[in-house]
Amino acid sequence: MVENILHRRSLDASASQNALIGRVLREYIVPDLYPFAIGLGMVGPALLAHGTVEQQEEWLRPIASGTAVWCQMFSEPEAGSDLANVALSARQDGEEWLIEGQKTWTSRAMWADWAICLARTDPNQPKHKGLTMFAIPMEASGVEVRPLMQMNRDAHFSEVFISNARISDKWRIGEIGEGWRVAMTVLAHERAGGGSRGGGDGSARGSQLPSWIADIQTLNDLSSIQREDISAVYSHDTVSRWTSQRAADEARVSGAPGPAGSGAKLRTVRSYKGRARLSNLSAGAHGMLESGHGYIEVMTAPSMSIRGGTDEIQRNILGERVLGLPGEPRLDREAPWNESRKGLL
Amino acid sequence: MTDITTVDPLITETADRLLSQTCDHESIQRAEAEGGAPEIWDAFAETGFPWISISEEAGGSGGSLLDALEVLRLVGYHAAPIPAAENGVLAGWLLGASKQEIPSGIATVVPSPGSQVTGILSGDEVVVTGVAERVPWARAAEKIVVLLEIDSTNFVASIDQDLCEVKPMTNMAGEPRDTVSFNDVKVAACPAEPGVSPESFRFRGALSRSALMAGAIEKMSQLTVTYTNDRIQFGRPVAKFQAVQQHLVWGAQDAALARMAAETAAREANRGDALFEIAAAKLISNQAAARATKACHQAHGAMGMTQEYPLHHLSRRLWSWRKEYGGDAEWSRWLGEVAVAQGADALYPLITGGSSTLR
Ligand SMILES: Cc1cc2nc3c(=O)[nH]c(=O)nc-3n(C[C@H](O)[C@H](O)[C@H](O)COP(=O)(O)OP(=O)(O)OC[C@H]3O[C@@H](n4cnc5c(N)ncnc54)[C@H](O)[C@@H]3O)c2cc1C
Repeated sequence: MVENILHRRSLDASASQNALIGRVLREYIVPDLYPFAIGLGMVGPALLAHGTVEQQEEWLRPIASGTAVWCQMFSEPEAGSDLANVALSARQDGEEWLIEGQKTWTSRAMWADWAICLARTDPNQPKHKGLTMFAIPMEASGVEVRPLMQMNRDAHFSEVFISNARISDKWRIGEIGEGWRVAMTVLAHERAGGGSRGGGDGSARGSQLPSWIADIQTLNDLSSIQREDISAVYSHDTVSRWTSQRAADEARVSGAPGPAGSGAKLRTVRSYKGRARLSNLSAGAHGMLESGHGYIEVMTAPSMSIRGGTDEIQRNILGERVLGLPGEPRLDREAPWNESRKGLL
Repeated sequence: MTDITTVDPLITETADRLLSQTCDHESIQRAEAEGGAPEIWDAFAETGFPWISISEEAGGSGGSLLDALEVLRLVGYHAAPIPAAENGVLAGWLLGASKQEIPSGIATVVPSPGSQVTGILSGDEVVVTGVAERVPWARAAEKIVVLLEIDSTNFVASIDQDLCEVKPMTNMAGEPRDTVSFNDVKVAACPAEPGVSPESFRFRGALSRSALMAGAIEKMSQLTVTYTNDRIQFGRPVAKFQAVQQHLVWGAQDAALARMAAETAAREANRGDALFEIAAAKLISNQAAARATKACHQAHGAMGMTQEYPLHHLSRRLWSWRKEYGGDAEWSRWLGEVAVAQGADALYPLITGGSSTLR
């Protein structure tokens, strides 16, 4: 998606040239674009799909150049998998909106300049309908970020408390009441991986051993069982990359990522977990120490199948939207949110 | 060797009460930040728990190995940040088996000497040299105990911690696993009783970890059932989703499996050597830990990833203990080699009869 943004707003590269840049990048070990991933991979595409020309002019270039870091304020204490249960309220007051509520698990909030924030603008509508999307400047008065320490000793996500923050109406993204549609665009791009991928691990070049395998090799002589394990993860990785590439190509043709992104997310998570497990196992007892191989990855791995929508939710999406299986009962779908949230089931 | 096959219920009750009072979320977090929890250890030591299974004549608290392992199960269950396994079942055992004094402070052990730490005899002393890694709580210990094989005889060196150089290190759970250097330290040469060898020490280490792990998996499973029943999404407790119920069942199965394996190994070890049961128990606990941590974390969602919620006290301990005293590959190989050596006709008797068929 970084390519698309470059194409639309600065460099005049064609879609196929962009694809080529992506492919070349993945052949090399290049810096992780993690801090910029929300802007490049999710907000950028959502602005292209739902933003006004003025918003695109204002926000896309800083996203592409890396001068603006964005975070994603979707999840709340009561709205995790059930994202449409968002309670943070936005009330219109002339040309402004008054924002009040709490977000949680907001990655990058401590250093972000902007947040894309899902808010409830009409509690009397059914839960998916009364939502609106906003961009919120993180330095706005009334926005307080409290970092949370994760078990891997990283503090990259935060609780965000907002009380009485005033947001200009020109920072509303999409129509009033259309927040869920914008959120779906953001999430589809998140699942599909968007621009979050920086480079690769060198493996796409074929001639070079992926760095994680080279690392394991330095630890011990590989037993035949380890070789088999490594080969299984490597093949899964490779096929997964091709499949994600195909999904991305399809998305480019159709103009929007579809449910195939859920498959991509599931496979990417499995690859990460497989690599973490193997490098940590290969380190033996030393792997439990701070200096051990795969030490951080083992403690990070469980979050991979949770962040960006849990494995269970991705499978629900695939079941319902790809396989056409009957959906789960959703009794709260049509009821006004301020009633359904009290619990209908 | 005794034929006692039950744990004194008073031990279970007292240890459970003491540990639930002392090991709350804050005290465990604090122990991790500060590299130890002297107040928890003191309360634990006051009851004599650290020296169960060491005879009273040797300076211990008496009681059976079975009792000691039951206490370890509870230590694992409460994620108690104390060197309970090291002090009694491991260091205490080595000291008792070499007729040496049991210190009043903490005794810990070098988990895998051999290539890392060696000793040479000099008159009636042993000179100990080398660097030992992953020594639990060495920084807080009074004695660091090392089992050394010198000219085919096993000696137990009981070394004052202040004669060693201790570099603090921690495992994934933030438990001290220090690097200890011995620079030609001289201590009395005390030969170990027959039956004490690097091999039997490794099995005993594995036995101690199986007991800890069984407790931790059980607590993790209980936490997860409670959390998913309280956590509401889509208007109902997430425990109502069948996909979540599958995680809960994995957690509960693995808790039962690990406990059964650890208790069988403990009972057999209490009677005599229990190589087969211990090898099987450690392998089973390792695999159960891998599956159960995965299932329980998944069922918790993001909440389980934070330091503020207690799941990580258990999961990070399990990931670490899984690696101590033998990972999956080591015990699988051991079991495979034994089974192959017995031959096809002895396989079923081995599985049903266990170590008694190997004697
Ligand atoms: C490291 C990390 C970073 C994150 N960063 C961000 C961020 O930057 N911005 C942001 O907005 N959010 C972020 N999140 C939050 C993330 O999106 C949520 O954690 C996720 O959507 C799951 O919600 P939850 O944690 O509340 O779990 P819950 O929804 O409470 O789920 C608990 C369990 O129930 C299962 N479950 C729930 N509903 C169903 C169902 N219908 N069918 C079957 N199973 C179900 C889940 O799969 C899970 O196993 C982050 C999370 C993590 C761990």
